[in-house]
Amino acid sequence: MEVTLFIHAADDAFRILENAKVQAVGLLDTATRLTSETRWMEEKKVQAILKGAQATRSGLQNFVATFVMLMGFWALLSGKFDVFHLSLGVICSLIVAYLSHDLLFANVRVGDGRVIAQRFLRYIPWLLYEIVTANFYVAYLALSPKMPIDPQIIRFKTKLESDISWVTLANSITLTPGTITIDIQDREFMVHALDKKVAGDLDTGEMEDQVAHIFMEADHIYIQDVLDVSRIFAELKRGM
Amino acid sequence: MNEFFVAVGLGMCLLVFLVLYRVIFGPGVFNRIAAISAIGTKTLIILLVLGYVYNRVDMFIDISMVYALLNFIGCIAAAKYLEMER
Amino acid sequence: MIISSDDIIIKTIARIFVPFIQLYALYVIMHGHYSPGGGFQGGVILGASLALLLITHGYDEMRRRIPEGVVILLGSVGVLIYAGIGLTCLLLGGNYLDYSQLSVILHVDPAHARSLGILGVELGVGFTVMAIMYSIFFDISTGGILPSDEKRSEEWGDNE
Repeated sequence: MEVTLFIHAADDAFRILENAKVQAVGLLDTATRLTSETRWMEEKKVQAILKGAQATRSGLQNFVATFVMLMGFWALLSGKFDVFHLSLGVICSLIVAYLSHDLLFANVRVGDGRVIAQRFLRYIPWLLYEIVTANFYVAYLALSPKMPIDPQIIRFKTKLESDISWVTLANSITLTPGTITIDIQDREFMVHALDKKVAGDLDTGEMEDQVAHIFMEADHIYIQDVLDVSRIFAELKRGM
Repeated sequence: MNEFFVAVGLGMCLLVFLVLYRVIFGPGVFNRIAAISAIGTKTLIILLVLGYVYNRVDMFIDISMVYALLNFIGCIAAAKYLEMER
Repeated sequence: MIISSDDIIIKTIARIFVPFIQLYALYVIMHGHYSPGGGFQGGVILGASLALLLITHGYDEMRRRIPEGVVILLGSVGVLIYAGIGLTCLLLGGNYLDYSQLSVILHVDPAHARSLGILGVELGVGFTVMAIMYSIFFDISTGGILPSDEKRSEEWGDNE
């Protein structure tokens, strides 16, 4: 008697588990479909925001921002703060800002300047630490008697979008001893590395992540991560 | 403190002489351009050290900034000329 | 013929640096009597900044920014400032370029008037030097090909 009750209970339990598994698989299906649809719409929305934000950064805002930076630079250069020299500084900054106001801030989105500046100031000590450690390694390579270098050229595609971030990444790679950026040809970097170890340090992509964090780019790549994970779940589901 | 700066300056001069080998014997013109650019960066440090020795740093900072500028523009101009020549 | 290079690193760096180079050149002109500098040195740095823009951004961009007529006009304006200050001193009763006579116009004592007079003259020298250096660099680097020749070769089709 107890055995049949037990068998009925186990049967019910297994049926409940079966239903739960079917429902979970259904939910995963809808989630995958929704993310692939919404990813396209999210891309469109982000592009619209970027275009709109670029359009509203007018010439006047560029002019004022350039004027402020140039005035700061003048105050740094000239140690005299009396009225005559400051008025000279204001006139010179006005002339230079008028002549070249579309040069300095061509691609920056509105309202992002302060955040980018803060994050850039926090990036510099990390870069200095990387340079110092790579210095020791390259000095060891160059001073050992048989000089075990293995020069190679690496190509990699980058996930950064604007040209300032490309230039920042290229300069950071060149400043770090052992690697030199040769060329950038539409999002593909060509880097000459001295040894396998420095090439491996570059391949982890840590510097690229840091630069993307400064300029707040490649944020929507996380949707791609969700899609990859859902594909792995689909593989597991088929095997269940 | 003066002796330390003089020693640093002499060390930099020694490094300049080491790079001068590439300027004279470098096979081809690209080696020579890269070596001249490297000598330029050493020259900046030597100028600043001279400024500390003569106790007039502010004057020498202006001079070294101008030299850094001209080194940069000269290197780019030479590279552009050689690119067009091919 | 310098076409715009497609090297994005040099283009971006040049475009960020040029305002700072120009401000530094104006600083060198203005502080001529305190630190090494003066009119000619500042003019050379200004001309070098324009040459940097020309090398990295090509002809068409630079012709759009600074037409060649404006460059020659700037050079003449510099000479005008120099000679004008000298003649003003002459008309006010002193010798040519005797800046202490300017204290009548500017209502400062003669020592200050001398300082301001030299500043104005250095400014004129700076403008002229910048204009002429950029103009010479531009003309030599075209290689003798005038804009009318380029247009004609475009219309007739290049047979090179």
